[in-house]
Amino acid sequence: MAFANARTCTEETPCSGREEEDGGEHDADRDSVSSSVNSPDNSDDLEPEWLDDIQKNGELFYLELSEGEEEAALAQAAAASQGVSTNHVRFSEEEAEIITEQNKKQRCGSRTKGEPALTRLARILRRKRRPSQRRGGGKDGGKDNSTSSPPASILKNQPGQRQGVTVQQQQLKEVCVYLNPKRLGGSSTPLSDGGGLLEALLGVVHRPSWSRGNTAVVRQEERLTVHGLIPNSPAIKCGQILIGDVLVAVDDVDVTSENIERVLSCIPGPTQVRLTLETVAQGDGGSASDTSSDRKTKASSPPVSQLVRLLWGEDTAELQMSIGHIPHVVMYLSLKLDSASPQEEEEILYQYPVSEASGQLKGVRGIFLTLCDMLENVTGGQILSSSLLLGKQLVHVGYCKESNNLLVIGLPAERVPLLYLQTVVGDVVRTLKVMYGSLDNAFCKVDHDPRLDHFFCLFFQQLIQPSRLRDGSSAPAPDVSGTLFLDGLPAVRWLTLPPEIKMEVDTVLSDFESSDFGEMSEDFFGLRRLYVILGSCLFYKSYLIANHLPKEDLLDVCLYCQHYCLLPLASEQRVGQLVIWREVFPQQRANGSSTVPGYSQPQGRHFLLIVGLRHFMQCVLLEAGGCASAALGSTGPDCVYVDQVKATLLQLEVLEAGIEERLNAPPAPCLSCADWFLPAATARDRLDSLASSSPVFSKLAGAVKGSASGSRGRSLFGEKARRSSPQRSLSDSGSEGQMDAGSGSVSSMAPGLSPHSTPDSGRKKLGGRRDSLGSGGSDGSGGSGGLFKIPRMKHPNPFYLGTLKKTLTERETEEMYNTMKLTSGAENTLFHYVLMETVQGIFIAPTHREVAQLSGSIHPQLIRNFHHCCLSIRATFQQSLPARGRRAADRPQGGGWGLGPVKEHGVLFQCKPENWTDQRKPAPTMTYWVIGRMLLEPVPQEFYVCFHDSVAEVPVEMAFRLSFGLAL
Amino acid sequence: MMMLQHGSTQLLCLTASSGVPLFTRGASKQLPFSVIGSLNGVHMFGGGQGVELSCCETEGGGRVVWRVFQDSVMLIAVSAGGQGGAGCSSSKVEEVRLQRLLENVWSCMVLVLGQDELTDVRNVERLKRDLRSCFTLIDQLLEERQEGILGHLTHCADSLLPPNPALLQEAVDGFAEAAESEFGCLVVHGRVAAATEKWWRLAPQEVVLLSALMRSLSASGSASCDYPVFLPKGSPTVAHRLLRFQLLPGADVCVLCGPTPSLHRAQSELVGSFWTPLVETLRDCLAIGERCLPGSVSMRPDVLAVLLINREARRSVSFVRTPTNHLPSEPPLPSKARCWELLKLFYIFSTTRYFAQEETLSVSPEERAQRGHHEDFVLGFSHQPLQCYLVTEECKSYGLQTPQHQLFLLTPLSVPTFALRTLATQTLSDIVAATGF
Repeated sequence: MAFANARTCTEETPCSGREEEDGGEHDADRDSVSSSVNSPDNSDDLEPEWLDDIQKNGELFYLELSEGEEEAALAQAAAASQGVSTNHVRFSEEEAEIITEQNKKQRCGSRTKGEPALTRLARILRRKRRPSQRRGGGKDGGKDNSTSSPPASILKNQPGQRQGVTVQQQQLKEVCVYLNPKRLGGSSTPLSDGGGLLEALLGVVHRPSWSRGNTAVVRQEERLTVHGLIPNSPAIKCGQILIGDVLVAVDDVDVTSENIERVLSCIPGPTQVRLTLETVAQGDGGSASDTSSDRKTKASSPPVSQLVRLLWGEDTAELQMSIGHIPHVVMYLSLKLDSASPQEEEEILYQYPVSEASGQLKGVRGIFLTLCDMLENVTGGQILSSSLLLGKQLVHVGYCKESNNLLVIGLPAERVPLLYLQTVVGDVVRTLKVMYGSLDNAFCKVDHDPRLDHFFCLFFQQLIQPSRLRDGSSAPAPDVSGTLFLDGLPAVRWLTLPPEIKMEVDTVLSDFESSDFGEMSEDFFGLRRLYVILGSCLFYKSYLIANHLPKEDLLDVCLYCQHYCLLPLASEQRVGQLVIWREVFPQQRANGSSTVPGYSQPQGRHFLLIVGLRHFMQCVLLEAGGCASAALGSTGPDCVYVDQVKATLLQLEVLEAGIEERLNAPPAPCLSCADWFLPAATARDRLDSLASSSPVFSKLAGAVKGSASGSRGRSLFGEKARRSSPQRSLSDSGSEGQMDAGSGSVSSMAPGLSPHSTPDSGRKKLGGRRDSLGSGGSDGSGGSGGLFKIPRMKHPNPFYLGTLKKTLTERETEEMYNTMKLTSGAENTLFHYVLMETVQGIFIAPTHREVAQLSGSIHPQLIRNFHHCCLSIRATFQQSLPARGRRAADRPQGGGWGLGPVKEHGVLFQCKPENWTDQRKPAPTMTYWVIGRMLLEPVPQEFYVCFHDSVAEVPVEMAFRLSFGLAL
Repeated sequence: MMMLQHGSTQLLCLTASSGVPLFTRGASKQLPFSVIGSLNGVHMFGGGQGVELSCCETEGGGRVVWRVFQDSVMLIAVSAGGQGGAGCSSSKVEEVRLQRLLENVWSCMVLVLGQDELTDVRNVERLKRDLRSCFTLIDQLLEERQEGILGHLTHCADSLLPPNPALLQEAVDGFAEAAESEFGCLVVHGRVAAATEKWWRLAPQEVVLLSALMRSLSASGSASCDYPVFLPKGSPTVAHRLLRFQLLPGADVCVLCGPTPSLHRAQSELVGSFWTPLVETLRDCLAIGERCLPGSVSMRPDVLAVLLINREARRSVSFVRTPTNHLPSEPPLPSKARCWELLKLFYIFSTTRYFAQEETLSVSPEERAQRGHHEDFVLGFSHQPLQCYLVTEECKSYGLQTPQHQLFLLTPLSVPTFALRTLATQTLSDIVAATGF
């Protein structure tokens, strides 16, 4: 079984505990706490973890991070305890009260009522069963024991504690810890032990009336003094709960021995709680600074991002508050006037958020209603957008009218340029329609409100403060234009895979889709199957690697994933387990726009099942009705299907290495870093800094330094200067020869050591690689792949290879020509590209890792700029699309119809290094093109490319080279 | 049913405080009053709530732009979408055109009536009557009747480069001095051929408007006139006299001056003495026609249209070649009128997206807010755009910007895209070398 692998990293925190406390019981406890609860649990007799989370209407959103991530959550908790949240609580207690209450209500509301007793029982049962199961595995336990470090004294960890005898005063402190009740399943501590949830969940040992030991009698209220800490428990991991502290409150709820169990049992799922502890504080400031520095080091480790907390449904209030001053609003207004209705503000069917700035927008809803109603008559078209000034802030408002209701979305102009507003609004409307069928369905049901709040909270957070959502995660700050542009493309990011892997992936998916497994087969039970699998698509780390869905369905699914940030989630954080189930309304199917005569879409209901395990995520579209049995009422996820998807993913896990290899492979086509094209001074600095870290670089840098001093000139781009710019040659994978020719001192260097770009040695592996993206599924046969390879040049440029050509072996030369290069000319001048296949709904672009490898200081800037420009280019294409449809036939002659359909659009940019200090010389510059090209033949494509200005390119050719063989 | 004709623009002017309509111009059929009232009311209501409505877009390219000037006059421009439906004009382009229109109309009103009369309205009826005198000018802005005049869009004076500029310059300087003025200007074919140094120091907008005023005055056919003008930026409250004399049909000279000299004196004593010797030169000037460039500048045959702007001097020259299709197999070249239109659209397109205009960089954020923020997108670039091009189904357009100049040109589709850049840079250097523009 692959389940053994499912275990993720075992933590190696300096675990500490009191020796005398640390009996065998606790050892076992620790084992089980750290043992893999998140391993997919598909034995028939056990309930899956997500079962409690299913909502009344059958929907499920269950997200659990893997071990490593929860570890990080702790660090986050530590960091948060000194952050905003604490202040917020300290100084405005009322507000905090309200928030927590709301949270609680939500939490309680989200649970299935009437069942908790049963589930609890089940949980206890499960707990009992687990250890034996685990021991059967054997491997886990052994591994655990071997890796866990010997427990150190907690007193040692806190240097302040020793001198604590001197001046003591009682002080309150707040500690945030991350708790996961789901994890309890693995705990072997029986509840009857007396420690209860306090021990099992939190890891705090409290012995009622210390001396009496375990005699569990009904006792009076007692303060919860921490008598001990359980190793590997949340309490000890946070490092701030000390023995002797008194637990005063949990999430601002006062606790005593009386109610602590009840309070803790209210925690429904993985969450972060804030503990208030009364502690013995030292008089001197030394310890304080000690602890704070402690915290800081903890904070520097990657914490769980806000995004995850948001997805868990925590923290929305705080996040929302932080953007309260930025005007943004979503309203669903009724155009129908019903004067009989007694309600106030009855025309507002839905509104979010409730903040001052949005209140102002709400106050002028009359404008939106009037304009929507009136302008149609005046200019002959529905209103699309309007711009308002709120104080000094410009707000763009987008509209979408459905029957008698009007959706209004206001966004700050600095985040969403008007050019792109329509795309953003269009996407959110489509997402809503996919999720609820229609806008009316989405907004007009009362019980949808909390869900819509969450939906729009995510929407605004992603647009307005994306960095906040990702903060702490290792990913670089997202660039706003980039996100806007890439998310706005009607396509999904695709990763080309080597054919063997691709084929295996497709086979596995097809096997799954054939539904030919045990309980699902109709023969087995003689029943109609529950669902027909319409198709599925597979993501690995936010890249689509296989798709067996029709394009429109793929886009629907992808919009949902994008909205809930599932893709970045899977790429940045290892997902322990993700299970999403909900009814969806695929737009293509809902609209019934099938054009084939004699065929009509079966009238069924559709369900979306998304299962994520670690970096893999599979989205499955299911149909009930049609040829499967019809679904009645609100249908929850079916364990069989979920387990089958999980099994599929586990099956695919063996391919992870192969896919990783592909991700690590040098970029194809080759990319250059913008910084290499800037002159010596900056490049040399950069090399210097790199040299310290890598031995290869130090060699290189030395060589470069030697020659760079000889190369004078900022006129890098002049013809003759090429030779004298050894940095430049790094960019060119086929130019070791030039390196040698350029600077004689490098002769010691072996060829193939140009580590920046794409070493030939790395390329070798790719030699036979074909970029066939064939999907065996519904989309038909796989195209036999072409290669991004340029045809072998007939006359190699003697300038570069002249002297060295003789010395290179035949094979090496061969390789040099095999490197895939998109640009023409001898040097590789390509910086970045995006190619969208409109028909398949996919796009390819350099992977995040490829971009990260290029590093540089200018390059990220360049990519931001590229994306910003692409926004404009794409908007231009979009505007010309409808016009193109009509062709010249009814086009009015002479005026009144704008620039006309745009086929190609390019912009030349100039960049200068930042903070150029040299007064004497003007800052060196580098110029590059950003070109967009829309192709209609042979297949509709949009191609965006960014390359250095030195070579004139024909974008059509580049697009062709890039897309050759990409066809599905 | 839509109330506005396709492609037409209607201008509404109301008093900002009371919502009394002052005038409407443009479009054959006036919008019903209820619509005018709602358009105004919507904006006014927003104002009361601290929300200023600035513009609106509808499907099919329809657009409404609001702007209040000096808290006294509200101008609303409504444009119906083009015939073709959605996406006909690139979304920002139309908005910028309307924003510019409102600005120009307001300046026009100030130019003719002075700011005082517009800001404290004591008698609305009288104001209505007075405003009629602006109509010719406003109509000129609205209809953009005269081809080849782009000043109201670029806010750069449309210029004509005479074959021998020194002679004319000398004459204009001398003439202005004799008329006790520092502001003198020679207008040929509605474009500035020569002007005193001080004239160029006027706000670019004023120079453009004065040229427009000169055009409308000379169209009236009178040989000379004495017209009171307020300078919207320079002296919005104190009127100057604009003395205009027709030298030849199509060539006018004007000076801005104080109470002296009288029109008659200037006409009889100054005009003759300064300009009679230069009649031949003026004729040469007129002969250039709408090409705006002296014959010494040779233009490559594959350039359809050019707009060249001197960014420092805020002057522009532009011309469109009469299209000649040599081969029937080639796709038809756009007509001359279409070329002018494309040139305008491409100019707005490039400046709203890539090339920041001078004013953008200098104005304060608040003022920028007033202008409708159309430059925001430009400011989002981390690197500086230098050149851009568009390939459409009709022609190729190329724009480039240097510290000194901006050049926009159209070429037929037959010119290969990679050659555009060379073509553009060469055209620029040719013109600059030949004329020192």
